[in-house]
Amino acid sequence: MITRFLWNGMSRNLRLFVLLVLAIGIALPLLNQLMPRTSPFYVPAYVLQLVGKYLCYAALALAVDLVWGFCGILSLGHAAFFALGGYCMGMYLMRQIGTRGVYGNPVLPDFMVFLNYKELPWFWHGFDSFWFAAPMIVIVPSALALALGWFAFRSRVTGVYLSIITQAMTYALLLAFFRNDMGFGGNNGMTDFKDILGFSVQSDATRGVLCFASALALAIFLVISAAVVGSRFGKALTAVRDAESRMRFLGYRVEGYKLFVFVLSAAMAGIAGALYVPQVGIINPSEFAPGNSIEAVLWVAVGGRGTLIGPVVGAFIVNWAKTYLTGALPEVWLFALGALFILVTLFLPKGVVGLWGQIKARRAQPA
Amino acid sequence: MSLKRLLGRVVGALAILLVAGSAFAADLTTLVANLVTGGYSERDAAITALAASGEERAAPILQALGAGELYVRNADKVVVIAKGSGKQLALTDAVTGKEAGTATEDDLERVKINNRLRGTIESVMGSLTLMNPDPRVRRAAAQALFSRRDPSALEGLDKAIAAEKDNGIKRAMVEARASVVLASDAPADKKVEAIAIVRDRGDRDAMGVLQAAAASPDETVKAAATAAADAVRQSLAAWAGAQNVWYGISLGSVLLLAAIGLAITFGTMGVINMAHGEMVMLGAYTTFVVQQAIRSAAPQLNDFSIVIALPLAFLVSGLVGILIERSIIRFLYGRTLDTLLATWGLSLVLQQAVRSAFGPTNREVASPSWMSGAFKVGQIDVTYGRLWIVIFALAVFAALLLLLRKTPLGLYMRAVTQNRPMASAMGIRTPRVDALTFGLGSGIAGLAGVALSQIDNVSPNLGQGYIIDSFMVVVFGGVGNLFGTLVGATALGVVNKFLEPYAGAVLGKILVLVFIILFIQRRPRGLFALKGRSVE
Amino acid sequence: MNAPRSTSALLYLSGVTVSFDGFKALNNLSLLVEPGEMRAIIGPNGAGKTTMMDVITGKTRPDEGEVVFDGSADLTKLDEADIATLGIGRKFQKPTVFENHTVRDNLLLALAGIRSWYKLLGAAPTRAENDRLAGILSIIRMEEQQHMLGARLSHGQKQWLEIGMLLAQNPKLLLVDEPVAGMTDVETETTAQVLREVNKNHSVVVVEHDMSFVRALGVKVTVLHEGAMLAEGSLDQVSADPRVVEVYLGR
Repeated sequence: MITRFLWNGMSRNLRLFVLLVLAIGIALPLLNQLMPRTSPFYVPAYVLQLVGKYLCYAALALAVDLVWGFCGILSLGHAAFFALGGYCMGMYLMRQIGTRGVYGNPVLPDFMVFLNYKELPWFWHGFDSFWFAAPMIVIVPSALALALGWFAFRSRVTGVYLSIITQAMTYALLLAFFRNDMGFGGNNGMTDFKDILGFSVQSDATRGVLCFASALALAIFLVISAAVVGSRFGKALTAVRDAESRMRFLGYRVEGYKLFVFVLSAAMAGIAGALYVPQVGIINPSEFAPGNSIEAVLWVAVGGRGTLIGPVVGAFIVNWAKTYLTGALPEVWLFALGALFILVTLFLPKGVVGLWGQIKARRAQPA
Repeated sequence: MSLKRLLGRVVGALAILLVAGSAFAADLTTLVANLVTGGYSERDAAITALAASGEERAAPILQALGAGELYVRNADKVVVIAKGSGKQLALTDAVTGKEAGTATEDDLERVKINNRLRGTIESVMGSLTLMNPDPRVRRAAAQALFSRRDPSALEGLDKAIAAEKDNGIKRAMVEARASVVLASDAPADKKVEAIAIVRDRGDRDAMGVLQAAAASPDETVKAAATAAADAVRQSLAAWAGAQNVWYGISLGSVLLLAAIGLAITFGTMGVINMAHGEMVMLGAYTTFVVQQAIRSAAPQLNDFSIVIALPLAFLVSGLVGILIERSIIRFLYGRTLDTLLATWGLSLVLQQAVRSAFGPTNREVASPSWMSGAFKVGQIDVTYGRLWIVIFALAVFAALLLLLRKTPLGLYMRAVTQNRPMASAMGIRTPRVDALTFGLGSGIAGLAGVALSQIDNVSPNLGQGYIIDSFMVVVFGGVGNLFGTLVGATALGVVNKFLEPYAGAVLGKILVLVFIILFIQRRPRGLFALKGRSVE
Repeated sequence: MNAPRSTSALLYLSGVTVSFDGFKALNNLSLLVEPGEMRAIIGPNGAGKTTMMDVITGKTRPDEGEVVFDGSADLTKLDEADIATLGIGRKFQKPTVFENHTVRDNLLLALAGIRSWYKLLGAAPTRAENDRLAGILSIIRMEEQQHMLGARLSHGQKQWLEIGMLLAQNPKLLLVDEPVAGMTDVETETTAQVLREVNKNHSVVVVEHDMSFVRALGVKVTVLHEGAMLAEGSLDQVSADPRVVEVYLGR
């Protein structure tokens, strides 16, 4: 019944889009496994990895859009939630290495042996179990979002002030995680993962499953977001975005609305980060860099803020361009990225999806 | 004793007779001759005799002897000081102190020295240099004696104290004497007196002396020394606090420079300029270019290159700022969050442009001579570089305040800030004022870049390190309030430096960030918020 | 706390003072509004009308003074959402409707009822709510525009939608800030009718410059000047008061 409710909450376009995401998530791994390597339909493992990565970015973009596009909160710290989810997964993966590390210590990960740790820090306990790590992936980013949002929204910190606070938050975390004595591997972070749930992270089959899992997570996020945005809650949410004080005078306690989407969005970002880490094989403090969060905002802007399809499209377009340009013309990439920020805000405030809508509207309504 | 040495002695004695023209010279000549002749114990006595003579030349001669630079010239058996490396050594006549040409090592006989003689030289040197006509040397000698605490120097010290005219140096000598007394076997009451003197000196060295004295077997001395050490510890802690305040003010001035331009663009225009840090970076690179140009074209101006760079950096960053305002920001007024994104993109472009032009590595910007060096205020170390930056930051702040309050541009800027439509209706060209305001904010960032080139690496990423801090300062101080920015920058600088010793630099910074995050939530409009209906 | 719990007044302001950086926007202001009353507040620019509204709705905290609603609720301790829930509605000078929502959704958001976010997550409009929406749409004569976006409405339509939203909110006390600013004469006349209609079930405080509109309302008038009450009575009474004439014309 609830699935039906969720399904009915979506527009036809969105339903098709969700099916498309799932189809990609299923088809690519299958083509990788079933086709012979010589076949033109064979999908090499690096493509699986790339698409899986893009799917995680898309989920992060959707999370950013949920707060920015629908509630007007421009978070410049969402990469922090993504990275925290990633670190939780990284801790699980580190514990899975066991005695296969360079130092062969059964309990301590390599970097701890290297840094002369005598025993496992308390916050590492439990991460040897996936079923402990999995809820942490949601809980840790959500708790941070809850704490920050609770203070910020209650004291009515809005607009650029909130943006600056979120940026300061991720900057503070960046500095903290760079420290060796934080117990998260410092500068180098965590890497050299061996297996996840008993399957090698290097194998094509695992890559395929991770790619599918990312697609599934994105699809679920789309459905949840559509349900939230389409409900009466969603109407109130966009009303908060457009005229916050008016909503207060109507008797709405605006903080609750903001806090809910902020935490929901942080949880989504955390899951996306957790799926991202085993696919790229490393997590380090640079994921907290303020630039990463702002780049995620750009994906949303390019795709179209305030739409659900937009952030996914934007994440794919920008990241595909990044992969291509950093390979082919590395010095051009930052120019292109910078120019994209400027051009999109100046000329394409509704993004690609908005442009598409305008073109369609113009066709339907000939002058 | 070798034949050669015997011969040397004889010749030396002859030489003394030969130059016995002037009593003064003769006396010194004899003393010097005794240095190079005879057995070690005789020469040991000669060293003490020379030191006790009070001769001006005694110090350099003994120094040379200790350093193995004292020679006898084979040709005429004159005692010379030889310096330099390689084949040709530059000679100075030991007795007269006049230049005596050059010679190779083969033409000279080095005056031998052993550890015993070295020890004697060292111990007499302290008291010897106490009588040196150069006050810096005397001060350094007193300082050295304070730490070395050689009881044998007591006599020399007493003599020097009696002769000393300069009160500051006299004081240093009295302190040195007290330190020596504490190390000697003087009676307890003398020691207690000495402890009081050392305590009043109050620095780290005094602390060491007192701690050593606290180990004394005599109970009265022990008690006095322990009490004095505690007093010094407390005063040292106070000085350390004052030092931290200075470091904090110094950091605060850097923050102020970086943030003040932002306070204008953000505070008066409501525009978030994420490329502000890059304006700072452009200023730093302008300094680099100016310095390179001056180094090749007019090296005599080297010391003033950063003064010349100031107006140029202001112009470069200011013009780039005006360009940005006219080409991007003016289309985004009222869309603050979009401005933020666009200017972030711009900062990426500027960084990459500079990286392409100058390379990704750090560029060296030299400090002029008048900015290097340091001095002490009480127990506080102050470097000239930091002092100039503090002065510069305050000067920029004052100039900006004057500009805003006393010039037509300032009047227009305030008018446009307070009521744009009204200002426009009064005939103020608001677009031009916007462009100039933005240019002014950017230009000041350029000035900040000149200052930062002196203390930070000039690299394409220079600005990024300051942008978040600058925003914190502006927001903390209260948007639209320049004094708030001043107080905010100083307060954050000082807090940061006070946290550093306990938490380390990184953790200190994190704590400050967390503090500001919490603070903004308590007072969303900053320390000095504007109140009233116009705020929203 | 010696709040006068026995007061019969719906809204009770006593000795309210608000200052912004030394400037007293409200200076020892006292005001009583009885249940069912409609009151017009007039006064020159800067007299403190909007600040008074801000104080009543919880947007601005007074430095001193009591603000009591319905005999017991101390409004100086509550925030905007609490005060709105207690039953004070506010209409702003500039019409603020939700531009990206349809007329119907605007009214739905304003409709008295669920305000908490978690209850709204799964809620669909009930039949009772739909009936009330239909009723309000007909009162403000916007049935045909109910699916139009707020942004597309004309200025007058926005004013009416706002009044509709206030009706949907069903407050005990309605604060209306310059409802006829920028309206045509016909619209002004209609607005006066609508407000009189509204006053049958709600107490109303209207802030207005337009004297002909105030005359059309025909209610008790309070004149504010420099943050304090200058005169009170019928429009004829207060306009005969030499102090009022001084304030309006004497400068």
